[in-house]
Formats: sequence, C-alpha cells, structure tokens
Amino acid sequence: MKRSWYATPYALWMLIFTIVPLLFVVYFAFTTRDGAFTVENFGKSFRPVSLPVVFDSFRLAFFCTVICLVVGYPAAYFLSGRSGRAVVVLILLPMWMNFLLRTYAMMTLLERNGVINTILEAVGLPPQTLIGTEAAVLLGMVYNFLPFMILPIYTVLKKMDRRVIEAAEDLGAPPVKVFTRVVIPLSVPGVVSGVTMVFMPAVTTFAISRMLGNGNVYLIGDTIENYFINFSNRNVGSALSLVLMVLIVISIGLLRKADPKGEGGALW
Amino acid sequence: MYDEQRLIELRGVSKSFGDTQVLYDIDLYIRKREFVTLLGPSGCGKTTMLRIIGGFEMPTRGSVIFEDKDITGVPPYRRRVNTVFQKYALFTHLNVFDNIAFGLKLRKLPKAEIAERVGRMLRLVKMEGYEKRSVESLSGGQQQRIAIARALVNEPEVLLLDEPLGALDLKLRQEMQLELKSMQQELGITFLYVTHDQEEALTMSDTIVVMKGGRIQQIGDPKRIYDEPKNAFVADFIGQSNLLSGVMLEDELVMMAGKEFPCVDEGFEKNEVVDVVVRPEDIMVVGTDVGMLEGVVESVLFKGVHYEMMVATGDMRWKVHSTTMQPVGSRVGLSIVPFNIHIMRREAVTLPAEGGEKA
Repeated sequence: MKRSWYATPYALWMLIFTIVPLLFVVYFAFTTRDGAFTVENFGKSFRPVSLPVVFDSFRLAFFCTVICLVVGYPAAYFLSGRSGRAVVVLILLPMWMNFLLRTYAMMTLLERNGVINTILEAVGLPPQTLIGTEAAVLLGMVYNFLPFMILPIYTVLKKMDRRVIEAAEDLGAPPVKVFTRVVIPLSVPGVVSGVTMVFMPAVTTFAISRMLGNGNVYLIGDTIENYFINFSNRNVGSALSLVLMVLIVISIGLLRKADPKGEGGALW
Repeated sequence: MYDEQRLIELRGVSKSFGDTQVLYDIDLYIRKREFVTLLGPSGCGKTTMLRIIGGFEMPTRGSVIFEDKDITGVPPYRRRVNTVFQKYALFTHLNVFDNIAFGLKLRKLPKAEIAERVGRMLRLVKMEGYEKRSVESLSGGQQQRIAIARALVNEPEVLLLDEPLGALDLKLRQEMQLELKSMQQELGITFLYVTHDQEEALTMSDTIVVMKGGRIQQIGDPKRIYDEPKNAFVADFIGQSNLLSGVMLEDELVMMAGKEFPCVDEGFEKNEVVDVVVRPEDIMVVGTDVGMLEGVVESVLFKGVHYEMMVATGDMRWKVHSTTMQPVGSRVGLSIVPFNIHIMRREAVTLPAEGGEKA
C-alpha cells in the first residue's frame, strides 16, 4: 500500500471540517442573505466602528506575544539546561487544565470581590478595579498562551549542539557573547514557531476578552461572534473572518522571513 | 626551572566523572612547534585530556601549565588555544566568511584586517570563493577545512584537533593528513592531535603518546614507538603484529613457539617470561629447508602492495606479509632476523581485552 494512503483519515477529516467550512465562509462572505453575489459585506466589515476593534486585537495580541517572549525565552533557556522529565512537566502543567477553567480561575482572582481584592482589603489597602480592564485581558492571554511560547524554544535549545557553544567559547567568546552571537541566533526557529503559536490564538480570542474584559474590551473575535450569534448575520461575520485570515497570513508571512528554512516547524 | 621548550605541561592530572576515573596521574609536556598525537582506543582518556587543555573540563587533581603559568582554572575563552572539533561544530547561522571571522570579530579587529586574514586562511585551506556560501551546503571535507581555518585564523599558540578527520573517507583523509602536516610546518604552530588511527599518528606526528585506560603507555617518536614498543599493548595497537609469549633463556636468546631464536635483547632474568612481538613484514618466507620454522599456508589475502598470509606452525599461527604469493596448503619455511624480534617485559594487564590484531 502506498504511504500516502495512511493519511486518508486525516484527509477526510480536513475535507469535512476545514475545507468545506472554509468554502462556506467564502461563499457567505461574497453573498447577501438571499444568496446573490456581493462585495458589500467587506465594506461593512471595514466600517469605522470595526477598524479600532481590529487595531485593538492586533495591539493586544502583539503585546501578549512580546510579554510571552520576554518571560518565556529566559524560562526556556533555564529549563533547557536541566535534565529530567520534571522540566517538561513544568512547562506542560498549565496545559493540562482546561482553557476555560483556567480563565474562570483568573476571574475569581481579579473580580471586584475576588481573591486579590480580599487580600488588599485585609491589609487595609483600597480595592482595585482589575477585571474589565485591558490589563486583565492581557494577563489572561499571557497566562493561557505562555506554554506555547516556552515549549518550541525549549525544544530548539535542548537540541542545540553543545559543541557549537564550546566552539564559540574556544574562539574567545565570554558567556554573554556566546549567548548573543550563537545561542540566540540559533534559537530563532524556535522563537518564530513560538511567536506564531501565541500570536494566532491571541489575535482571534473572544473567550478571554469576554470573561476578563467584562464588556469593556471588545476584540475582533467578539465582533465575529456577535455577527454570527447576536445579529444572525453570517455574511458579514464570514467576510470579517476572511479579512482576519488575510491579516494573519500577512503577519505570519512577515515572521517567516526570520526563519527562511522553516526549521522551527513554523506553519508557513 | 623554566624550560623554554615546554609550551604546555600537564602535572599529575587526574580526572573522574562521578565514580569513573578516566585519567590517572598524567604527566606530559609539549614543546613549541611540536606535532604531538594522543593515540589510543576509544575510552582511553585522550579526548578528555584534550578538553582539559582546551579548558572545557577541569582536572579533578593536578594542574595545566602554559608557558610556566598555571592556567588550570582559566576559562576556554581566555586561553591562547583553539580547537578543531570532532564533528566540526560550525555555526550554521553564519556563512563561511563569518564562521572564520568569528574569533577576529570578537577581538574587534579592523574590518580590512579581518577580510585580509580570512582571505589568507581560505587560500591556505584551498577554499577561495566560498566566502558567501552557507556552511550547510558544503561537503564533509569542505566543512572540515572551514573548521580548521576558523581555528587557525586566530593564530593560536596551540591547535587542538579532536579526531578531525574521523568522518572523512580514506582518500580524503590521507590527503588532509599531508595538508595538515604541511600547514603545521608552514605556520610553526604547535599541534596536539587526538586519534585512534595508528597509521594517521605514524604519518603526521613528531611525538606519539600512546594511551590506554587513562594512563600513558609510551611516549616517543613514531619510529621508536613502532620499532621498540614498550609493552604488548603498544606493539599490538601500533601496526599489525604477531604477539606471543616467550621465555628468555639467556641474553640474546629467546624461546618461543617451541623453538630457540637469537635476538638482540639483554638484561632479563634467566628464564623470565616475556612478551614477544614480530611484525608481519619482518617474517621472511623461505624454502622449507632453510627456514627457522616450517608451516602450512592457511589463507592468502591480496592487500595491494603485498599478500597477507596466515601460516600455521604447530599450534602457532603467524601473520606474514610478503610480496610473493604462496598458494594455500603449500609448505613454507619462515625466518626472522634477530633484530626484528622485539622482547618486552611482561606488565600486569597489558594485553588488550580482545587480544586480536588491529587492522
């Protein structure tokens, strides 16, 4: 049997759950409610009210990615120097818990009468408005997506040939130079794949913004959800989804330039 | 007293990894401009010794002296020593030029000088025109040349080479052996070379250090090591040989394979049990009437320059190299001149575990 046959179940899966729905999205995006061809849906999705939402989504996803990178890289570097399975468990532990559960946990921490404010009151400090702020949404995003940054960077660093680091030392590089001239450049593929894996879910999230944003933070994911659920307008919702997809493809395409060989297993 | 000649010295160096001791009380010095080879089977501690000199491992006991200064605790990046690593360890994120320029850029040399020196190195290793190429696009031999250039461009006092030709095919390896030797003579840099290949060691070295089990077995120039191995291990490891046990009946007379042979060695106890080594090329195939031994040819292999024959005499089998072939099954005489019989004091545990010949 030819090896390509082994992929048949997955190919069917892709066809039913990805290709066909995608075709539906394209179809809806270019038609009116009555099924007539139109490009008006795109005009509606670019209405002045939508643009700040798109901008906010990308801005928050960008900050989330930067924070994950700044926090995650040193963590991955530290962990890659350790041995044993406990390390990987440490990275994966947060992922063992359901995503919604984690976000609910975050809610109880940040609520008006939540854990943090109770502690603040107990020590005589005024309660803070935590939930319903952009910071809360950002915190929730970082909390949820950080492992996706650490894991690929950790993997690349772990695979790195020790001899290459020794070679740099041998050629006169003190530890800081070894890190900046060899370790960081060689870990770029891991960074690219980590950034991709954090940025994509972050830019499209709607659950986190709704649960921790309390209606004050409204992102592109929420907009799309609204069009489908509340306005029952799948045509504009689909158009907006397509716009978002194109924007993500462009972002990832730009990122791809940093890792032309695709060594980090990046998606593009 | 400081000996001008001694560039690097190991004094009483021992090294253990956990419970495993890999080096035992090593004393060794390397002279300026010398080509020294550490030779031994895998696991003999030769690479560890090189890494201690490079600064990648700390000795458990003892010290490393460089030009009369103790550098035992000095990190690799402050040693005037460069290494050519076993699997090259090139920087895959940099092109050929930047790989070679790595050390010079760290020293913040002017751009023009860097370009000039990298260019000179590329000429030396015969890789001009490859500046912009990615190192991953190069063949194994080419990568090897870049690794050598990357180390040499820094003009180290000592170049450490850890089995640098191990991954190359035979022809390329022989070519590189000659090139390395001529580079070393041209540049006047001290080379410390690690290999398990005795032929490589014999071809290139000024001095060979034969090692086994974390101990130095013998130090000497190639000819001395080949002709006068200090013990059975060295004899067996350097070149192919017939290794047998004998008894010194008196000075210049040894009993082996059931016969008495005149030899040139003196100073043994009467009837002392000794190890005897006879090189295959030192056994002459003669007529049965004039041979010191008589035997039957059991097998013949054509090896290019010579034939390798196994000849059985009684319960002893001899490996014999000869340019004339004797058919299998024929009876031949064997003869050995006294000078070619090497007698060695028997030492505790000197025979390799397998006891076989090394190719």
